[in-house]
Amino acid sequence: MDSLGTVGTLRVGLIVAFTLLGLFFSFVSMTGVLRLPDVYSRAHTASQADTLGAGFGLAAVALAVGWEGAGFKSVLLLFFIFVTNPTAAHAIARAAFEEGIVPWTEGDDRR
Amino acid sequence: MTFVDATLAAGYTVSDFLLLAAAGFTVLAIGMLYRAVKGPTMQDRVLAVNVLGTNTVVILAILAAALSEPTFLDIALVYALLNFLMAIAISKFTVERGGVL
Amino acid sequence: MWWVTDATVAAEAGGSDETGSEPQSAVVVPVEPSPTLRATVSHVVEAAVDGEFSAIHFVEIASWRDGDPGSDDRTAEARRVLERVVAWAEADLDDADGDAGDGVTVVSALIGAEGYLFGPEDYVEVLAGYAEEHGADAVVLDPEYTPVGNTTLLQPLEFALSNTSLDVRTAPVGRPTRPERLRSEATGVRFAAMFGLSLAFYFVLGDPLYWFDWATGVATAAIVSITLSRISFDADPAVPRTPLRLVRGAIYVPVLLYEILVANLVVARVILDPRLPIDPTMNRVRVIVGSGLPLMTLANSITLTPGTLTVRARDSDLYVHSLLPWAREGLFDGSLERWTRFVYYGRSAARPPTPRERDDYAILQGPDATEELPIAAGDGGAVPDGRDDDATDVAEEEVTDA
Repeated sequence: MDSLGTVGTLRVGLIVAFTLLGLFFSFVSMTGVLRLPDVYSRAHTASQADTLGAGFGLAAVALAVGWEGAGFKSVLLLFFIFVTNPTAAHAIARAAFEEGIVPWTEGDDRR
Repeated sequence: MTFVDATLAAGYTVSDFLLLAAAGFTVLAIGMLYRAVKGPTMQDRVLAVNVLGTNTVVILAILAAALSEPTFLDIALVYALLNFLMAIAISKFTVERGGVL
Repeated sequence: MWWVTDATVAAEAGGSDETGSEPQSAVVVPVEPSPTLRATVSHVVEAAVDGEFSAIHFVEIASWRDGDPGSDDRTAEARRVLERVVAWAEADLDDADGDAGDGVTVVSALIGAEGYLFGPEDYVEVLAGYAEEHGADAVVLDPEYTPVGNTTLLQPLEFALSNTSLDVRTAPVGRPTRPERLRSEATGVRFAAMFGLSLAFYFVLGDPLYWFDWATGVATAAIVSITLSRISFDADPAVPRTPLRLVRGAIYVPVLLYEILVANLVVARVILDPRLPIDPTMNRVRVIVGSGLPLMTLANSITLTPGTLTVRARDSDLYVHSLLPWAREGLFDGSLERWTRFVYYGRSAARPPTPRERDDYAILQGPDATEELPIAAGDGGAVPDGRDDDATDVAEEEVTDA
């Protein structure tokens, strides 16, 4: 980390931290989608953990690209994902509900 | 020399690190494919494909940074829009059997 | 149990119980999941209660053949549909005044799985055979009846049926009506706001100093605002209301981000726990925010905070799926609702009693359940406690239209 200065070092540190956090939450999201018992609980991790994971990933990208290098597009993307992901999850869950899929509860053996 | 070419540690640059992270996101996306294939309900598949699409957007954005290709961000933006549209359209379609929004 | 799901058994039971009392007139109703199925069932049951029919046969015509790969799944699916239809009919008969519904037999059957059916003639043949076998002389069609997504089948089916001795009619029920709910009035202010927003977005992606981007940008923004300005706004943007909302929204965003982060960590711990200690339930919360944009903001905030997921918005009733008791309690404490009210209506509106204090909440599943899960309202069917489908759709559309 030569010739970067304090600000540059901080920036690199934040990029690394955000990327790792993004990977972690995306991993949680994937684990949830694979492990949880029904479509509703899967929608939880799909909409939330994944949104946060993508958010951190895109924040890291925005930092790495910099404002002068189209980083605002990354911010735009981040904002967009934060609005659309829960909406999509809501639409999917509502479709499941209207199809008559009963949510899994404790003691249900369907996994 | 752009910012991502700065040395991170032991001769590796930020760019190398981001490429590695993109690989990690790809592995996670492949894991998600299991749910998309197995289902069991239509909504499970849509959900999995939606998450996969979000992952793809992140991968595209990271590649844009790592390879210094800002145009990838435009592709990511369009991909995110299409991904959202896909989830909404399929949800609507499965419930109303062809009723348009 | 006075109904059974197997036609042959039903025929015997009916024979021993009811023959001789009435002129046996049975009706055959082909069913398939459709938006109007619920209403069709109601219509047929009503006619039966009025004395028109003494037996109702709900039949599902199999478009597959027994023994095909996947036919077991499809048979099971068809059985589920039939069970649900019979349950609806049973409920409608119970609701009928007096004893009028007592003499009506409800039967369901899955037919036509012995061979492939290729066109309307094959369907009619199977249907007529079944009707003859069970002494039925009438057929009532669901107006949206489209087996296996074959959208052009209904008219040919009606035509082919008219060539038989059966008395055919289509149930006089409409799709749940689709009012002009998305459209609001077109005004100059809305048009200008939409135009400005689209153009600004275009220039964020393009280059405002390049004449070509000006030309394409103005054209694109014009198209967008002509087509969408009536849909995207339900009230004129106004000073100082709109800027104030934006400012308060900017205050809300960091709060929301913090909530998301904390709750995400809690949920992440639960999901990565090898024992997976989850306790998911469906809940209902009545919220006091305006419809439209405020409701969408609240529903999306609830979905974004981990552990809670908005499944339906029916007027001001939110159906929320919660993953953990912790998330459920947080939902009933209503902090997100207060924040939404703050963003849209200012500080003075941000102190209503919480849903818990108002007693406007219910757990719909599990040992603590206080209310029944309204899942039978599926397939576009009627809501058990009244016909408020239209209002429902309005609220929901606005939620999904981000």
